[in-house]
This record gives sequence, structure tokens and C-alpha cells, in this order.
Amino acid sequence: MKIAFKTLGCRLNQYETDALASRFHQGSYELVDFNEQADIYIVNTCTVTNQSDQKSRQTINQARNKNKDAIVVVTGCMANNYKKSLLETNAIDFVVDNERKSQIYSILENHFRGTAADPEGFDKDVFSYEAAYKTFHTRSMIKIQDGCDNFCTFCIIPKVRGRAVSRPAEEIYTNIRQVIDHGFKEVVLTGVNIGRYLDGTTNFERLVENILHLEGDFRLRISSIEPDGFSDRFFDLFEHPKLTPHLHLCLQSGSESVLLRMRRMYTAAQFAAMVNKLKSRFPDFNITTDMIVGFPGETEEEFEQSVQMAQELEFSHIHTFKYSIRTGTRAERMPDQISEKVKNQRSAILRNISTANKKEYYSTMIGKPQRMLIERITSDGTARGYGENYIPLRLKGKNLQKNQFVNVLLTGLHEGKEPEVITIPATAVK
Amino acid sequence: MLANDNLHELIEIRHLTASAYILKMTRKGLKFNAGQHILLGKAGSIELREYSIYSGEQDDFFEVLIKEVDNGVVSKQLKQLHPGDMVQLEGPLGYFTIDTDRIAHDNFLFVATGTGIAPFHSFAKSYPLLNYQLLHGVRFAHEAYEKNEYLPQNYLLCTTAESSGDYHGRVTDYLRTHTVHPETHCYLCGNYKMIYEVFEILEKQGIPSERMHAEVYF
Ligand SMILES: Cc1cc2nc3c(=O)[nH]c(=O)nc-3n(C[C@H](O)[C@H](O)[C@H](O)COP(=O)(O)OP(=O)(O)OC[C@H]3O[C@@H](n4cnc5c(N)ncnc54)[C@H](O)[C@@H]3O)c2cc1C
Repeated sequence: MKIAFKTLGCRLNQYETDALASRFHQGSYELVDFNEQADIYIVNTCTVTNQSDQKSRQTINQARNKNKDAIVVVTGCMANNYKKSLLETNAIDFVVDNERKSQIYSILENHFRGTAADPEGFDKDVFSYEAAYKTFHTRSMIKIQDGCDNFCTFCIIPKVRGRAVSRPAEEIYTNIRQVIDHGFKEVVLTGVNIGRYLDGTTNFERLVENILHLEGDFRLRISSIEPDGFSDRFFDLFEHPKLTPHLHLCLQSGSESVLLRMRRMYTAAQFAAMVNKLKSRFPDFNITTDMIVGFPGETEEEFEQSVQMAQELEFSHIHTFKYSIRTGTRAERMPDQISEKVKNQRSAILRNISTANKKEYYSTMIGKPQRMLIERITSDGTARGYGENYIPLRLKGKNLQKNQFVNVLLTGLHEGKEPEVITIPATAVK
Repeated sequence: MLANDNLHELIEIRHLTASAYILKMTRKGLKFNAGQHILLGKAGSIELREYSIYSGEQDDFFEVLIKEVDNGVVSKQLKQLHPGDMVQLEGPLGYFTIDTDRIAHDNFLFVATGTGIAPFHSFAKSYPLLNYQLLHGVRFAHEAYEKNEYLPQNYLLCTTAESSGDYHGRVTDYLRTHTVHPETHCYLCGNYKMIYEVFEILEKQGIPSERMHAEVYF
């Protein structure tokens, strides 16, 4: 039987899709591209903004239009947020909430056997995913945590992902050993708010330290993290050669008063101090971020503070979100909602800064070495992948293979739709 | 968890002013750290709001101090309740707490406006040895909610609309003219404008940002 997956939104969703795909593959299902005709379509949705809702709905319709007889399963955050209305949609056969996403294989097996397949009858477990070996990526994502208790005033995540829970540390180490045995060379820690990880006395820093001590030729990426509660020990961890010098630190706004209205757990000054500390200790450290424009009441002056911070802290990528009202959040009830027109203007300004910053950062890296992990080889023989600093790299050469580490030297910018950096093998340099 | 687990019985409602009231409800053994809040609403309602826990860690009930907000939904609904009615509760949640290792030796400054005094009441009740100064900003002196719960030397009432408080003016005016020792742990709770201004004042006085903690109500 042919099965196709589509993931929208965050890395956590990607991890969960990867794990599900592995499970179905083991169970003798054939994985096919989402654009192909399949017997089962699984849409792992996102609901973080209006736009994600729209994209998720389009994808569900796309699946149904591909094959009117297929089984269409909708899971992910939209399934939690709009369960009732989705259940009433003819295009969908099963709506499975996040808490039961890991059970989709059993639900469908029951369905095909003709036994009870109502998702609500299955146990909830946000961590019972097997180690993925059949993933859509070279990097293996590892889920360490789910949910969030921060309740930022704009955010729907606590409603759709629930309260913060941490996966037992031993399970994480076992999971990582398994993926390393499967041949993965890069492990990415994922979760909703991973900095708040806590299992007994093992906090996030201790967890990372223990993972770094695991055997094997792999590197560890922290990726997206909330900038609250780091100790000096956290910064020390980046001395370890296995920990990649890149963080996606979510700033959201450069204005102190907006951050307060958002109920973020840090000030803009603290955020800047953190970034400056990282950059002074590790000058090439790559910092990317999320920023929201048009939060209720955001004045020109407050937006200007975001612009200033985006420039000063030189984020190499800014994922800009236009604020969109999420039902049931505190910001929904705030006065002075900002018009779409202003949000579009502000978002364009930040996007331009992001483009300029990225080019600048990549340019400063030219002449420096990176350890490239090849993710794919294109038809013209060019290897594409990422270095430890999360810069997209291109390499031409012989005998290059997917999932191989190559020491390279960065030689120039490649101007495409998204800039990349051209490299040569480090061995070619005398 | 069964939905029933979230239902708590209202034990008492105490009206402190025409708009402010305290709800006392069953705790059902839920653990919390002083400074945390709960999500609260009428039983069966999908509208829940955050309320700081007003009672102490040792009390076998929960209390919250609420001010009815003009055009508000939940603060109005909860005011209509009677003892014996059920409320829906989630949590406790939040990180606006005190590192209890610091209680014996360190000094604390609490700055509140209006019902923002709630978590400080919980701190004071939970940790009798706490060395603190509480600045409470309100418009009128009768809004000094249960001020007798604090030792007079710990509590300073700032009133803006009349001069019968301990200080006539806003908490920010008071802080501008009264320097805070840089070793003090400062906790601020209430509306974001007050918190924003106090941050600036304290920063200028040399309080490092890691000693400042904020709980924004609105
Ligand atoms: C962590 C946290 C703890 C809180 N603890 C308390 C508490 O202990 N006691 C308490 O009374 N409130 C507290 N609040 C505020 C509370 O959650 C509600 O916002 C408030 O009761 C109004 O709810 P409502 O449904 O009546 O009005 P809503 O429909 O939610 O809001 C109506 C309008 O009133 C504004 N508003 C909200 N709160 C206030 C306020 N206190 N004064 C003036 N305007 C306001 C809102 O911005 C909104 O524009 C807390 C908020 C947070 C985030």
C-alpha cells in the first residue's frame, strides 16, 4: 500500500513525521512523494498563524483531490485546535490529535483489519515514537520535550501542545545511540521549549553535556530555543567540538515594552547580552531568530527598536511572522490591533535586513573551513549540505556521497534563490 | 485526566471593595510554589483566565484576589458565583517564584499595582522569614487590599488619587526618589507600563537585570 506524508510547520512536526514514516516503512508500506497517487495521505498540520491554517487546509484538499478513495489522516496542531470542524469535513477520514499522533500506525492497522479505529480510543503518549531510520532528512531529529508553560500572550502552542513535559533522559540517550547506529551523523534536539527540559535533576545543560559524551562520529545541533534561563555552563558547552556553533534564538521583538506585553521571559537587553557573549567567545557563531511584526499596539518607535536590534545583532536569518490573532490567547483581547498593510510594510523591512545580514555573514565566512555534511547530490554532480555553522554549502568533486562528512574551505558566494556558499575540499588547499 | 479533576468547589467569596474580591476554593492537594498562577473560569466555560495564587503554600485551600474589569468577561462571571458553586482550574503554572535558598540572607523588593499584590501576599504568607519591602500602588487608600496581613514596616501604600496613603504618588515616583540597594531581588507585578518604567528606574540605580523579575497582568 502506498503512503504519502506532508509536514507543515516546525521541526517537532518533522521529527514526528519522520518517526511515523519509519514505522510505516517497517510495516511494509511503500513511501511515495506527496504529489503522487497514494492510498493513504498523512497531513501533519500547523496552526501557529492564519497562514499556516490556510496552508494546512490547502494541503488536505490537495490530498483528497489526488485520490478520492484514499484515506486522508489529519494530525498536528490544527487537529487539536479545530478538531470539531475538521471532523465534520468530508475530505478527512481520521483526525488524530498531537497526543495520539504516535498511534497513527496502529489506528490505520486496526482500520484495515476492521477493528476499532476511533483515534479517541487509543492511549495518549507524546513520546512513544521509535527512532527514525527512514527519514526525509540527513539530520536525525530527536524529540526531548513537548508542550510549553510560558503562555506568551500571542501563542496558541500551550493550547495545542499542552503543558510542558520532558522525555526521560535515558530514553533520549538510547534513541540517539540508535540513530547513530543507523548511520546518522547529525542529531538535532527538538521540542516546543527545549530549554525548560527537566528530568529529575537532569536539566537541559546536563542533558546536552551527557549527549556530547556519547560515542560516535556525529555532531549535535540545538537549533530552536527560547532565550531564558541560560547559565554560564550553557555557553561553555559550545567549547565541545561536537556541538555546532549555531542557535535559533527566538527574539520576537526588540522593544522592551512589546516583550512585556508578549509576556516573554527575558528583556531585549538580556537577549543582546546573551548574543554578544556568544559572539565574543565564538566570533563566527551563527545566530538566527524569529521576529513578530504588528503585535497589538506596536508603535513605529517600538518597531524601530526591532529594526535596530536586527541590524545590531546581525542575525544571519530572521524568520519574520506577521502577527495573527489566535483565538483564545490574551493578545486576541488586546486593544490596538495593527492593520495588514502596516504588518506587510514592517515585515518587508525585516526581510530585507535578513537578506542583507545573511549575505554579510556568509561573506565573512569565506576563506574559513567548515565540516560539511552532504545532504544530497544534484543531477550535475554538485553536493549540497550544511557546515557546522548551518551555512548551506555547495561542493563539486568526485566520489562524493550523501551523508558523508567532508572538510571544506569556503571560497565564494553562490547567488541563487537563496544564497549558498561555494566550497572546495580542504585537502585541495596546500 | 478526567474533566472532573479540574473542578474545584468555591468555599467563600469576600468582597473587599465594590470591584475587588477574593475567591476561596478547594485545593485538592495541588502543589504550587508561591508566585505561581492558575487558569480559572466558571465550571463548564471555555473562557479561563490567569490568576496569581493569593494564599500561602501551607494553606489547604486556594485563594485568588480578583478585580472586576470594565467590559471584562471572566472577572465579571466569577464575581457572580456563590459558595458551593464549582469553578474550573488548570495549573499551577509560571516561573515568578523565589529561590527559597535566598530567603534566609537576601533582601527583596516587591512592587505591585492593584491586584498585582496577589503573588506578594502568597510570598509573605508562605515564607514568614522573608525580608521584604512591599510597595503597593493604588488610586484610593481603600484599595489597600488586606494590608493588615503585612507588618507595617514591610508595607508602603502609594495612592495617586488621594493623599491618605503612606506616600502620595505613583510607585514609580517613590522609586525615583528612594534608591534601592543593588543586591536587592526586585519583583514587579501588575500592568506592563508600570513594569516598564520600574525596570528603567531600577536599571539606572544599578540593579542588574538578573535580579529583576516581572509578572505582567495586562
Ligand atoms: C499571569 C497572570 C496573572 C494574573 N493574576 C491576576 C490576579 O491575581 N488578579 C486579577 O484581578 N487579575 C489577574 N490577571 C489578569 C486576569 O487574567 C484577567 O485578564 C482579568 O481578570 C480580566 O479578565 P476578563 O475576562 O474579565 O477581561 P478580558 O475580556 O480578558 O479583558 C478585557 C480588557 O481588560 C484588560 N485588563 C485585563 N486585566 C486587567 C486589569 N487587571 N485591570 C485593568 N484592565 C485589565 C485587558 O487587556 C482587556 O483589554 C492576571 C494575568 C496574568 C497574565
